[in-house]
Amino acid sequence: MAHNELILTNVTKRFGGLTAVDDLSMKVQEGQIYGIIGPNGAGKTTVFNCITGIYKSEEGSVNWRGEEIRGLTPYQIVDRGIVRTFQTIRLFSQMSVAENIMSGRHIKSCQHWWHGIVPTPGKKRDELDNWKKVEQQLNFFNLSEFAAMPAGSLPYGIQRRVEMARAMAVDPTLLILDEPAAGLNDKETMELLETIFKIRDQGITVLLIEHDMDMVMEVTDYLTVINFGKQIAEGTPEEIQKNPAVIEAYLGSEDDDE
Amino acid sequence: MNNLNRFGLPVFILVMAVLPYTLNERWQAVAITFLVFSVVALSQDIVLGKSGMFNMGQALFFGMGAYTTAILNNHFGWPIVATIPLAILIPAIFGILLAGPIVHLRGDYLLVVTIGFNIVFVQVLQNNLGGVTGGPNGIFGLDSLKILGANLTSQIAVYYFAFVVLLLTLWVMSNLEKSKPGRALHYLREDQLAAESIGINTRVYKIFAFGLGAGIAGLAGTVFATQYAAVSPEAFDFIQSVLFFSIVLVGGSSIPGVMLGVFVMFVVPEIFREFATWRYFVFGFAMILAMILRPRGIVPATFGKIPKFLIKGGSHGA
Amino acid sequence: MDIFLQQLANGLTIGSMFALVALGYTMVYGVMKLINFAHGDMVAASAFVGLTIYTQVMGQATSLLAVIVIFLLTALTMACVGVILERLAYRPLRNAPRLSAVVSALGASLVIQNGIMLVWGPRMRIFPELVPQVYWDFNGVVISMIQVIILVLSLVLMLALYLFVEKTRVGAAVRAASIDQDAARLMGINVNSIIALIFIIGSSLGAVGGLFIGLYYRGITFNMGWQYGLYAFIAAILGGIGNIPGAMIGGMLLGLFNAFIAGYVSSTWADAFTFILLILILIVRPTGILGERVAEKV
Repeated sequence: MAHNELILTNVTKRFGGLTAVDDLSMKVQEGQIYGIIGPNGAGKTTVFNCITGIYKSEEGSVNWRGEEIRGLTPYQIVDRGIVRTFQTIRLFSQMSVAENIMSGRHIKSCQHWWHGIVPTPGKKRDELDNWKKVEQQLNFFNLSEFAAMPAGSLPYGIQRRVEMARAMAVDPTLLILDEPAAGLNDKETMELLETIFKIRDQGITVLLIEHDMDMVMEVTDYLTVINFGKQIAEGTPEEIQKNPAVIEAYLGSEDDDE
Repeated sequence: MNNLNRFGLPVFILVMAVLPYTLNERWQAVAITFLVFSVVALSQDIVLGKSGMFNMGQALFFGMGAYTTAILNNHFGWPIVATIPLAILIPAIFGILLAGPIVHLRGDYLLVVTIGFNIVFVQVLQNNLGGVTGGPNGIFGLDSLKILGANLTSQIAVYYFAFVVLLLTLWVMSNLEKSKPGRALHYLREDQLAAESIGINTRVYKIFAFGLGAGIAGLAGTVFATQYAAVSPEAFDFIQSVLFFSIVLVGGSSIPGVMLGVFVMFVVPEIFREFATWRYFVFGFAMILAMILRPRGIVPATFGKIPKFLIKGGSHGA
Repeated sequence: MDIFLQQLANGLTIGSMFALVALGYTMVYGVMKLINFAHGDMVAASAFVGLTIYTQVMGQATSLLAVIVIFLLTALTMACVGVILERLAYRPLRNAPRLSAVVSALGASLVIQNGIMLVWGPRMRIFPELVPQVYWDFNGVVISMIQVIILVLSLVLMLALYLFVEKTRVGAAVRAASIDQDAARLMGINVNSIIALIFIIGSSLGAVGGLFIGLYYRGITFNMGWQYGLYAFIAAILGGIGNIPGAMIGGMLLGLFNAFIAGYVSSTWADAFTFILLILILIVRPTGILGERVAEKV
């Protein structure tokens, strides 16, 4: 079996006349915390959508563990160990936090469709096992006290944690985070950093998009910078910080963001 | 609410179990109607309430079950009880086949297509396709219920038949709530894209919901055919589907809510018969008022239960 | 060939009535994303209102002027009913879950339908002969004056609506509100007035459609709204709901299709064929003929 590597080769995604991702190649290695940065509208989220099967890129290849996953549906990709969160949090907002996390156990559960109609002893065991897994995630993300509350009623920072817990409940090999620090205050961002490191220490590869430059430089091992859908640089945080193209395209425009 | 869950259901079952002996013939018939339509409304709830699919054709599957029983009994001489498996299976299979090409449609489009299925179905019955549906008059003169050689002609027997079917439905629904497929339906109702992105093949579960709902409605159809010893097309008109659709939403996609809706829609008019012509006029206003005052229904849905050991801190009830 | 031409003429007549009614559905849907189930019953009600205006107000006069007054008074009455309906049944639910508004619309439909029954009775009424029964025979293809009037007047009204929406400032506001209500509000458009306007236009066009139905079919019943409303709604969906030219095209296509099925196959199967057509089109083009594909932003 090939390594747990994600390799994008010449991926291109167009929307009508607009080329959102243009001939992008990158390689995420096992155990890395890999960052994608770039100005607003640079096509970062579209890259994620191409990897997770929400969009299918017109050209190029998305290779995961030696298998071509371009063109698979989102749930098939989850089945191969890649799970994501969303920039705009997408929780099942009327349902409780515990149920939200339980959704991550969906593909791990061994229940069949008929278990929705007739119970069996095996089903009961499976339910309990999976709820125990949910409990683990509730503890890991410090969410136990909110277990029974509807996810939509919680503060933003907690919702972000619920969404990560839901993704982690899948037991992923590759976790994809779309701007996990967006909308978080400083304290919450620090906690998030710790959490990401802890996740990496479990042997899970992390791929993230982030706007917060300080955080990106601190957390990632390797970075790709894109602008107008094209890769303009890649390297370690130190290399990126010195790269003139990056400074012009991204860091130079940071003033506009503030 | 907790008390309602804990004591409500056993009390309800107890009351319903002795009810027919306190009623005269006419009210027994009303009570049977209440049970049968409750089952259909609950089956609609699986598709509409739990999965959020705008299905306005549930009377089709109800009718398909009733006609399956009627045709097998009348043309082929099967005993009523022997028709039950097919009266569940045929609608369920049709539900799956019909849902397959349409479940990806956006809400309102799905709604009009399901109305369409219902209207096509009724037209097929009226035109006596294959010469077995009896045309506009339907089929009459079905046998009565026979179990273990005993000929159960009384209405009370039909009542208990309907009651057992309702209990079975409630049991299936409680299993659904505590299962992976049941939760998958809630997830896709809440946010389809998020559900797909967490690994749920939403298409399969949508079709599952249609099939399950259709099977339960089909079983209710058997009871309906037994009660009247007859079936006819207008009983399964799409207007009936509209009523089931409204009952689920006004009631609020919870078991007490749905049954309350059935009670108001089908039993209350029997109490106030002298106002029969005002019936739908008043219901219309009641529907508008109910939605304005309680947009999520009179007894809103509570989502699946989570195990007790997960609830800590105690201050936040589900 | 005779059957073809005859059914073409019939189809265009029915189609223009469908289209007039479909416009009411599609305009409301465009701005409010709501299926106004009561619209079909409003159409039925307008036929009865027209009947009453004819007998009670106009003293059964059938002069051209009297007919015009009947049309205008009916349209005015129904426009008022439409505005009241929106105020009472839909506005309070603007921020509620979408299905709540659908149920409210179904409730309104029941109220209007049974209101007609309580006022005018459950039996079929005969609509007055407002237009002289003049027929022209072109080598076996019979066309009545009513058909010509229905077709011409519908086309004029639809053209006027199209020009209004596309060429005027208020029309632009209507289009803006149907693309994005919130953005339109931020740009200073009074969305409440736009919605009221849409109910006025939709109900008036529906009223004309209802009177046409009375003129053409003669027999009117309290519950006919569901039948015609459903067909008009299908027309709106075929054209791509929310799309005004789409509703016109959808209505015409549906009318022609119906007429040809009745002419060549059998009228007892007309409903079934119509829905099978609808289902097939939606499977191929899930958002209708002129409907736009809307991708979800992730």
